[in-house]
Amino acid sequence: MLDKPASALRIRERLIESERLMEETGCYDGITELHLRNQDPLKFETLHTKLRAYCVSAREMARRISASPGVREVGEMVVAIYTPEGDAIALSNGIMVHVHTMSRFIKWMIRNGYEENPRIRDGDIFANNDAFIGTVQVPDVMDVVPIFHSGKLVGWAGAVCHELEAGGITPGGDVALAQERFTEGLFVCAEKVGENDELRRDYVIRCERNLRMPIYWVLDEKAKVASCIDMRESVKALIDEIGLDYWMQVSKEFIEEGRRAQLARTRQLTVPGIYRGHTFYGHVTAGKPGYQPLGDPDWLYNMPIEMEIRSDGKIIMDFEGTQPWGYHSMNCTPAGMDGGMFVTLTQHMNFEGLVNDGAWMATELKLPHGTWTNPDNEMVATATSWALLLPAYGVFQRLLSRSFIARGFVEEAFVGQVNSPMIEMGGTSQYGTPFGMAHFECAAAGSGALAIKDGLDTAYVGWNPESDMGNIEIWEQNMPMLYIGRSIVPNSGGAGKYRGGCSFLSTWLVSKTDHLRLVTSEHSSRVFDNGGLCGGYPAPTCQKHRAVRDSNIFELAEKGAPLAHHTGTNPYRSELEVRLEGQHVTMEGPYITAPHKTGDVFTHSYNGGGGYGDVLERDPVKTAWDVENGFLTRQAAEGIFGIVLDEDEEGFPVANLDATERHRADMRAKRLARARPVSEWIAKERERVKAADFAPEVKKMYASAIKLSPRFTKDFSTFWDVDAKSTFGVE
Amino acid sequence: MTSYSKEVIADLVAGTLPWPQTRRIMSAYKDDDRFFKYVAVLQDRVGWKDPILLPVGDHLFICQSGEERVTKCECGHSFGDYRKNWKLNASIIVRDSEETLREIYPNSDLPDPDWMEIREFICPECGTLHEVEAAAPGYPIVHDFEPDLEGFYRDWLGKPLEPTNKGG
Repeated sequence: MLDKPASALRIRERLIESERLMEETGCYDGITELHLRNQDPLKFETLHTKLRAYCVSAREMARRISASPGVREVGEMVVAIYTPEGDAIALSNGIMVHVHTMSRFIKWMIRNGYEENPRIRDGDIFANNDAFIGTVQVPDVMDVVPIFHSGKLVGWAGAVCHELEAGGITPGGDVALAQERFTEGLFVCAEKVGENDELRRDYVIRCERNLRMPIYWVLDEKAKVASCIDMRESVKALIDEIGLDYWMQVSKEFIEEGRRAQLARTRQLTVPGIYRGHTFYGHVTAGKPGYQPLGDPDWLYNMPIEMEIRSDGKIIMDFEGTQPWGYHSMNCTPAGMDGGMFVTLTQHMNFEGLVNDGAWMATELKLPHGTWTNPDNEMVATATSWALLLPAYGVFQRLLSRSFIARGFVEEAFVGQVNSPMIEMGGTSQYGTPFGMAHFECAAAGSGALAIKDGLDTAYVGWNPESDMGNIEIWEQNMPMLYIGRSIVPNSGGAGKYRGGCSFLSTWLVSKTDHLRLVTSEHSSRVFDNGGLCGGYPAPTCQKHRAVRDSNIFELAEKGAPLAHHTGTNPYRSELEVRLEGQHVTMEGPYITAPHKTGDVFTHSYNGGGGYGDVLERDPVKTAWDVENGFLTRQAAEGIFGIVLDEDEEGFPVANLDATERHRADMRAKRLARARPVSEWIAKERERVKAADFAPEVKKMYASAIKLSPRFTKDFSTFWDVDAKSTFGVE
Repeated sequence: MTSYSKEVIADLVAGTLPWPQTRRIMSAYKDDDRFFKYVAVLQDRVGWKDPILLPVGDHLFICQSGEERVTKCECGHSFGDYRKNWKLNASIIVRDSEETLREIYPNSDLPDPDWMEIREFICPECGTLHEVEAAAPGYPIVHDFEPDLEGFYRDWLGKPLEPTNKGG
């Protein structure tokens, strides 16, 4: 028998009891009254603020131990404090998606008899990156330590870092080529990796021998352990001060208050009802080297979401009608889906007051078994689950935003997050050593627009509200590529009265290596995986890669001739083609190809956010500023927004308001002349549907959704007045 | 309790409130009296008298129109019973070719029109673009929002709607 938990019950029985009490009372752990809060609200709030300060300070300290630019520069880390049963009480800023995934990890260990074997003792360190136990993807490695006080288990401290290298079939962490679990990299499955506050040497050796760049993982482990110990000691000191009984009660009241606050916030900010939306994802791998022929090479995924806001304030998200899991790395576990929900809620509704697992308890996810959201096969790969998670939770943000608009809180309406195309690499570094790394400048996409202003340019991602692209010089220290450009991409935000935030594009010169493998993931190039709201357009699809092998860039540099620093604005002939000689490559979807070497040039672009409102209402003065600063082109200003720009004496664009008004009246008239009644369009389109006259991937998408979902089948059949099953040959 | 004047709410909705002030509103505790001030601001903006019951878009409102509750464009055009999908009574422009997609995406790579199209839902009277769907060809039109209008007024606002014979 191990050290006993604070309750007379063993922790597994305590967990079951806690869940039973929640079931019976509807309140967390049966806490129907917030006695301590009512007794002394100031003390209550002060204690929670202290806990939050412990978390924030532990994370900041730990970031300075890490060697990874992902953690040091971009902040790919979060820490939290949990109850003995594994429910989050307080958390830091950072990748908050993992607060609830760690909760699942702790509960998994409790349920699986870890008290008996391998035992849970003071000073133990447990690690996990198995998404079916509780994380999102293989590079998200979490460490937790139990907190004992007076010989009793009184809580847990936990930390997660996103590792830049996970030892998978392709370098980096978002292992694009993984089609099953077995190629994703180094798994640590709820393993005791340390005792007496020290990582086991054999565990460190395993990391050192199975990773391309172990310094990142190993030092991140040390950073996480340090942060956990720091939080543990702070909590113990706090318990010395307030007493153990008070701690055990107040930690539960914090969570119950968080749950109540979420319900109240929903009732305050939204309108009850049913909200619907969808997005899509196109995965293109046909002909790419390395993919095993385990299924069709190209997939089109539909992601319909129905959100119900109940009159008690509970939010229920239902993914029925979406696609099955597949032999790719974009599957997601319920833990990942929970994480996506949690991080979205913390940004949208819990930006004040208590943020903890209570918020998650005020929501419910319906994840149909067998779909990518809840695979019925635990061998599937999840290394790039963000590819589908981000678009899906972008839909959630738009659904929530419609409710904010209905209620009048227009300042909170936000068109949402977008996908983050990731570039990862490995091979021989500029120092002549083996290396591997995920480049995390993707943590600075364009955001969706707001209902009252444009989106953020290159400054937002859904998974980490503390967005940062990192400094060029730091990235250059860690990879054999030099930046020859990092540029805003004009017109990359979705058009609208308020445009989406713009994305950026990096252009690199491969340098001082004869073997650089570049791999990218999370590309939906063939379809939009984002959307607009209230008349705004989606941002452009993910852009293709453009590269030049064996370029003449060194000769040009020697002559002082102009180089290419970006791809330019001509979609049919890039700046690379204009300026550089060599073997030009344009590639759609994941970039998986032969190694690059010194003198090659490579570009990678990120995504912008969707727009809000009718384009013909965009502010001409703001648009002139946008053109001047490279966020929009003149062509877009006039052609999309109907804004006529003149030039001032110094050649800067200025809006011609009269000409704009005339041009817009003309555009509106043409719009009306071009439009036809929806009923007419439906009648014509129905003939196409009846004949199933669609691309093979589209037909496959419908057949898969119909096979899995009675509701999708019914909705499709009713809308088009067809028999969906026979139309798509589903038995 | 936090509260703002109708003028401040009007500027906020119009996007003309200075950013520092907007930022303070975003960071502060929310104003519980927002909804009816918001509706009053919108009611001033529209050129018709039917009482707005619930905004459902940038220029779309559920309103009480005589005995009926309908979804209305800001110009006054009615899309019919608010419980039905207003899009089915709208006009549409579908962008399903490189040429038509290029009009909106002048310098970027485009989606494959065989996999995806853009549908623009427009008011047939004033031409306002109310909603854009990006969908696979053949995907049913989405009914974006079915509010629990009566429950909202009764349970959340504490001001039940007058019973009506038609339109919910």
